[in-house]
Amino acid sequence: MAANRRGSSAIPEVLQDANIPVILIMAALVVGVAALLPLVQTSLATSTGGNVSRLEQMREDWQTRLHEQEVRVAELGSLDRIEREAKVRLKMVAPDSVTYLRIDAQAPAPHKLPSRYLPDEKEPVESGSLWGDLFGWLPLP
Amino acid sequence: MGKRRFTEVWRVWAVVAAIVMATVVVTLRLVQLQIVDHAQYAADARLIHYGQDTLADRRGALLDRNGYPLAASEAAFNVMVEKRAWEDPAEAQAAADSLAEITDASSAEMLGIVRDTEAFEIPVARGLNFGQGVAVRELGLPGVRLLEGSHRTYPEGNLAAQLLGFVGQENSGLTGLEIDLDSILGGNPGQVIYERDGIGNQLAFGDRSEIPPQPGANVVLSIDRYIQRLAEQELDRAISDNKAEGGTIIVIQPETGQVLAMASRPTFDVTKPDLSDNSKQALFRNRAITDTYEPGSVFKLVTASAALDLGLVSPDTWWYDEGVVHVSGWSIYNWDNSANGSQTVQQILSKSLNTGAAWLASLCGPTDFYDYVERFGFGVTSDSGLSGEVDGRVRTPDSDPTGWHPVDMATNSFGQGIAVTPLQMVMAVAAIANDGVLMKPQLVNEIVDLLGSQVVEPEAVRQVMSPESARTLLDMMGVVSEGVPTAYLDVPGYSIGAKTGTANIATENGGYKPDAYISSLVGVAPLEDPEIAVLVKIDEPEGVPWGTVVAGPVFSRLAEQALAYLKVPPTEEVLVSSLQD
Repeated sequence: MAANRRGSSAIPEVLQDANIPVILIMAALVVGVAALLPLVQTSLATSTGGNVSRLEQMREDWQTRLHEQEVRVAELGSLDRIEREAKVRLKMVAPDSVTYLRIDAQAPAPHKLPSRYLPDEKEPVESGSLWGDLFGWLPLP
Repeated sequence: MGKRRFTEVWRVWAVVAAIVMATVVVTLRLVQLQIVDHAQYAADARLIHYGQDTLADRRGALLDRNGYPLAASEAAFNVMVEKRAWEDPAEAQAAADSLAEITDASSAEMLGIVRDTEAFEIPVARGLNFGQGVAVRELGLPGVRLLEGSHRTYPEGNLAAQLLGFVGQENSGLTGLEIDLDSILGGNPGQVIYERDGIGNQLAFGDRSEIPPQPGANVVLSIDRYIQRLAEQELDRAISDNKAEGGTIIVIQPETGQVLAMASRPTFDVTKPDLSDNSKQALFRNRAITDTYEPGSVFKLVTASAALDLGLVSPDTWWYDEGVVHVSGWSIYNWDNSANGSQTVQQILSKSLNTGAAWLASLCGPTDFYDYVERFGFGVTSDSGLSGEVDGRVRTPDSDPTGWHPVDMATNSFGQGIAVTPLQMVMAVAAIANDGVLMKPQLVNEIVDLLGSQVVEPEAVRQVMSPESARTLLDMMGVVSEGVPTAYLDVPGYSIGAKTGTANIATENGGYKPDAYISSLVGVAPLEDPEIAVLVKIDEPEGVPWGTVVAGPVFSRLAEQALAYLKVPPTEEVLVSSLQD
């Protein structure tokens, strides 16, 4: 009797529940998982940062390739090369005489600057009115 | 007992004293490290933990008037090596060998560069192309990284070398338009400061601050690559045919003052400029604007313009040529020592009579004569925007009251004793072809940057003479060219106007170089509505030096091809066949 009294007073009744170990293990797991979350988050962020850097590098690489190709295009279009190709490959020669033809047609448009040297065209931003924004979803004419 | 206790106490105090002294030493050392030398160690730590790069965006391109690039930039990479990463000889040798297989530099050269430097980081190879850069990057060598820059390329080769100029290693302009437009082409460099790891790589989550660079603007020039190439080919041919020392050809669009071509010889290889040889640096200058010459008889156009515009003469005004004119005790003769009797003003130009030019100048008087000289733009820079452009030299009664004599005006009237640049001379003729309006020479047509395009409008300097007088003089130039044998001056299908000149070459001591001449021609075509004004100047040709013989054929070939290229319809119907629908 005395032993029973000593035992019940030493361990609170709530801790004598058979589920307590399970709860404790679950709690430990939750704490463990919670502790891992920052690590996972940091890991994901690091991985994402690496991906961003890699994609930025790819973008720069493509930009560099693009510029290189622009220069190659310019070299292919140089007058020296055109003349060389005309003479050597196409066996063309300078004309002995020139005949001018007068034709009744519109003169060709002047040469425009290639688009690669022009500033990027920006999308026009539509500036709708407040009422238009409010009732824009209505099928009004 | 007492002695033993004393010994124990002494030992304790000795230990305490040693600890105190050690503490003091450590403390003093800490004070030195953290307070006295703080700045030095903080800087060293920053150098190790933080990297700093200057970010340069692409330098803008120089384009011809139709958008073809004359100078453009492509990416180039410098290989940077940290000195401490190559402290181990074996590892350094292995890394250098790997780099040498990709770059043009030898491993010994790279090792020497790193060994001899005191810098934290140094470039061991420069100017790698994209493929080489990627290969180096994929090696993943510790302490080795790529620094991206750019390399200037010239798709048209040496075309317009002196006009375009070139850039230095830091990608800044050194000569020509590259330096004159440096602030526009160069853009604004950016800067990045980043935290890095032990082998120099940027930390993914380290501190990083970046000021992005602004790319340079593309500049559209007034130069037409086809006409520029034509001018250079014809200039080379003329120099070769006449065994001349050099020359200049300038082609102007009279209505706008736009420079379609500006070529000078001798020239240099713009793709590999030799900066080590000082004697070759003279080749870099653009002689069309930096060098002056006595224009000779082509200047009679200016004299005739003044007399015509003042209403003193007309093309048919008569004058009697005795073959000599006496001015202030000096005698002036014609170039062929001829005496031609009664001559019209038109014949003065056609026969290029020095005596007649001196008579026209005397009719004007010094005030009006030099007023027209200045109004045509002589004696001051043309404000072309090109660095190195000189004023030329015009001595007037006002500018040099003691040194000027009446005979100066007489010799100036036929282009002697006066120094002009080729650009000034052709702009003056372009003014005659442009209804008497002198235009500012224009080399830049458009500036295109990220924000948009800025078009440069042609700018008139002044109305030099009335449109009627200009038209009259233009017609007189037409008559002059008709008098030249077609073997020397003829553009089939077009009527042209021209004036030739053969001038002595002044020396620094005030005399003239013996048996050395400058043969020149200024011409416009087509005469009815001039599309081009051309100056051809050939320096010191061997053999017959006359401008008609030396420069005439050059103008003829150049104008014929340029007019066809510019789609200017021929004015002489005989060469035109109609195509009916």
